[in-house]
Amino acid sequence: MYRISRRKFLAQLGLVTASGALASCAGPITVPSNQGNQGQVAAPTEAAKEAAEEVVIASDAGEVAPGVPRAETLILENPTGRVVPADDFNRWRPGIQSASTGLQQLGLDALWYIDPDAGIDGVWDNSLAADKPIYNEDFTQMTVKLREGIYWSDGVEFTADDLIYTVDTLKNTEGMSYTGQFAKYVASMEKPDNYTVVFNLAEPNSRFHGLFTVRWSACFMMPKHIFEQQEDIVAYTFNPPVSLGPYVLKDFDPNGNWYLWERREDWQRTTLARFGMPAPTYVMYIAPGPSDKKVIAQTSGELDVIHDIAPEGMITLARTHPTSKGWFKSFPWAHPDPTLPAVIYNNEKPGLDNRDVRWALTLAIDIVRVAMASYRGAATISAIHVPPTGLYPQYYFEPLQPWLNDFTIEIDGEAYKAYDPEAATRIADAARETLGDLVPTDPEEIRKAIGYGWWRYDLEAAEKLMLQAGMTRNDSGIWQLPSGEPFKMALLAEGETRPVMNRGAAMIVENWKEFGIDATLDVRDNASRSRLALLGEFDAEFSWTIETWGGHPDLFFFLESWHSAFYRPTGENAAGRNRMRWKHPELDPIIEAIQRLDFDDPKGIELGLEFIKLAAREMPITPIMSYNVFSVCDEVYWEGFPTAEDPYTNPVANWANTKYMFVKIRPKA
Amino acid sequence: MRKFILNYLIPRIGQYLMVIFVGVTLTFIIPRLSPNDPVETQVSQMMMSGSHVSPEEIEHLREALTEMYGLSGSPWEQYLAFWGRLLRGDLGPSLSTFPTPVSTLLGRAMPWTFGLLLTAVLISWVIGNVLGAIASYHEGNPAIRLVDILSQAVRPIPYYIMALVLLVVFAYYIPIFPFSGAYPPGMHVELSWSFAMTVIRHSILPALSLILIGLGGWFIGMKSLTSNIISEDYVVYAENAGLRQNTILYQYVMRNALLPQITGLALQLGLIFSGALIMEVVFGYPGMGLLTLQAVMANDYTLIMGITLLSIVGVATSVLILDFIYPLFDPRVRHQ
Repeated sequence: MYRISRRKFLAQLGLVTASGALASCAGPITVPSNQGNQGQVAAPTEAAKEAAEEVVIASDAGEVAPGVPRAETLILENPTGRVVPADDFNRWRPGIQSASTGLQQLGLDALWYIDPDAGIDGVWDNSLAADKPIYNEDFTQMTVKLREGIYWSDGVEFTADDLIYTVDTLKNTEGMSYTGQFAKYVASMEKPDNYTVVFNLAEPNSRFHGLFTVRWSACFMMPKHIFEQQEDIVAYTFNPPVSLGPYVLKDFDPNGNWYLWERREDWQRTTLARFGMPAPTYVMYIAPGPSDKKVIAQTSGELDVIHDIAPEGMITLARTHPTSKGWFKSFPWAHPDPTLPAVIYNNEKPGLDNRDVRWALTLAIDIVRVAMASYRGAATISAIHVPPTGLYPQYYFEPLQPWLNDFTIEIDGEAYKAYDPEAATRIADAARETLGDLVPTDPEEIRKAIGYGWWRYDLEAAEKLMLQAGMTRNDSGIWQLPSGEPFKMALLAEGETRPVMNRGAAMIVENWKEFGIDATLDVRDNASRSRLALLGEFDAEFSWTIETWGGHPDLFFFLESWHSAFYRPTGENAAGRNRMRWKHPELDPIIEAIQRLDFDDPKGIELGLEFIKLAAREMPITPIMSYNVFSVCDEVYWEGFPTAEDPYTNPVANWANTKYMFVKIRPKA
Repeated sequence: MRKFILNYLIPRIGQYLMVIFVGVTLTFIIPRLSPNDPVETQVSQMMMSGSHVSPEEIEHLREALTEMYGLSGSPWEQYLAFWGRLLRGDLGPSLSTFPTPVSTLLGRAMPWTFGLLLTAVLISWVIGNVLGAIASYHEGNPAIRLVDILSQAVRPIPYYIMALVLLVVFAYYIPIFPFSGAYPPGMHVELSWSFAMTVIRHSILPALSLILIGLGGWFIGMKSLTSNIISEDYVVYAENAGLRQNTILYQYVMRNALLPQITGLALQLGLIFSGALIMEVVFGYPGMGLLTLQAVMANDYTLIMGITLLSIVGVATSVLILDFIYPLFDPRVRHQ
């Protein structure tokens, strides 16, 4: 019998292990993709060979999966990260993790879409609906006419039965999304024909259609023929999902790291077909990890669309990878979302219940330092209570400039002009010190990129306001309440999961401390922060309560729950967005007046302007900036992404509105 | 034999069960001491999205979720229900990814952690101990001295710093290894040679970050143990008797020095079940560490309990196994 010594055995084991490791370093075997976009192989001409030699990456792209050419695949970031559980596609259950895996972007569809920017054909799109919502005179009835010839991916036609089933099921199933809203508003539904649904509302609601209108998401349609067969709608995972959108789920990672969608063969029977064929044959959503990984992924050609990245990552890509493009060509790159990060005061807290104190805290904030800290200067600031995004500069910001320039607050009996129209220019100057020529110098470019003005940074005026409010300083120079009790400000903020918010909040606290406020930064996880804010157990929070459509000027989206009917005092959960517990006798009439108007009535803008002026005077929250998202699109494989020059939609990958991007992008020549 | 069972095995098994009981009980209690509530987390997420829901509807939703998550009843009732499910092998549903069972999530994450960490620990243990013994026995050798210096230098570096350095150097500046994941997008887990090679390639950087740091620790420990043993009488006798140096080193010196290292290895293997959190975050490795992070961030009681239970059972079991096999290594224990 052959005996092997221990030494020989160990040596041979080491040899085998080393060989295996070396073999694995060679990388996976991939098959080069066929030439062209349609998989047709032709004998290359001399010119084609020369062109192919130049475009090395495209022709040597390989595959992202067996039989899935890289050159025919658009790879986007899923900002949710790794999805657990990976196989749950029940979009109608709260807490679902797979919404941004392509499910709401490509697989599902809704009645209407409002674009946060200019829109592919105007801001409003009738998607599954053939027309806009039709209300009766007193907004107690809404009629929906559906588009004909739209089919689910399994060949069943989309009809009124699906819409009725969706609303009825969600209304009557505990634990599903929209249960509360539909239970509150929907009294009954009628189906005059297969493509018409009449909603009889329990109370007047001129914005009932908002529930079915996508702004990031909405109430998508459920396939009746699938869900009605399930015993437990809540537990059902809807796997595999049946699509109403132009793509079907081809494959996904059971560990939740990637989702692969394939264009439907019958894409013409979807609503997106009105604008053409979606160019990518395949779409993959991946979870690349933190910012540094996203930079590596995009520079390696493995990620076409980054959802969001830290400012440092954007600067790295701008400097080292010329095919990476932001929303703006250069600084500040980021896409301004129709969301307004602000300092949200608890208006019931002693001290903060006084307008003069809130104004003093506002004037004690140095917006230049806040913008530099949070975004390295690439912030789009807003002095007023709407985000400076989409078409809002033309609806609200531009018309209000003269008013803002003349706006005064009373300090010691004198009119004080609080507005600084040059704030954005000062931010640009500060940013230019580190970013040099990347920062624009043209005033119009600065206005588009960084915004208009902001409130003055004036500690002297702030001091007078505090004294006017009866506040005093103690022996250490720290502000205290008129009663002599300490005036503490703990600013609730997010952690490093959203660094721009965390850094902005830290700078605000620093500004307040310099002013003599006993301020601290209170960083919490999202669940704790929202619980405290909803209950009113906070002094101030750096977050957002104002979100708008972006493309459409209607403010009811967030204003509805600022009505006193929704007001809940500290200790009770805020119902909606009025976490700041602000009430004002002039506010309810504005909200009620908007509610009585048709959605597109231009008088809505006038009422919006009235609201903004009221909010500026009262300053229940201090608006800071829009939430700028550093979405970065790589033009190695694809071009035609939306930009500030061509704002046909929002490039932020998790928005359902990004479906319009797929019919506009094309393979890089 | 009877004595061995009564005096050695049974007490150790009893101790093992007691450790698990206490550990599980503490695991049940501690998450519930947190002010954060998984039901409130779900409700808050809905409210933060701007849903206009009345307080009455919120209360209704709260009751529905509490019932759904199995959190209704007094803590004592929940505790008894928990043990009842546990003894049936049911760890309950994950709250943050309801209704996925906790056991399913653990089953998906565990193989990745186990494969990577087991391999890394064993490799660093073997190499570290061999080099440590050689370093002590052949102290004058320049090559060994260099290894010694490098080990001392690398040892204090946190493994996640090493992981970041390796990532930047070998996945960005010199891109020869993948930068993320256990396998590339588009690939499925399958039993094939090509998939195995891909997994190995993806695991090289994560494993290297653990091996380099772990190796330093084993090296220093073994060197210290060996340096005590080489001056023992039986080693001196063996040298004077003319035995070959390698025979003395492996048969006499290392064999005796290995005993504490085996104990350390057993404990280290038990800790595998917890994963290497930061390494998994840095490399996007789908193991227990990432799962733990997700559970804690979402206040997912049941998933936290499941992971902690696995860790407790893992460490306790490894210690128990060590107690069983120790007599095989150490005749003195066998004699006792």
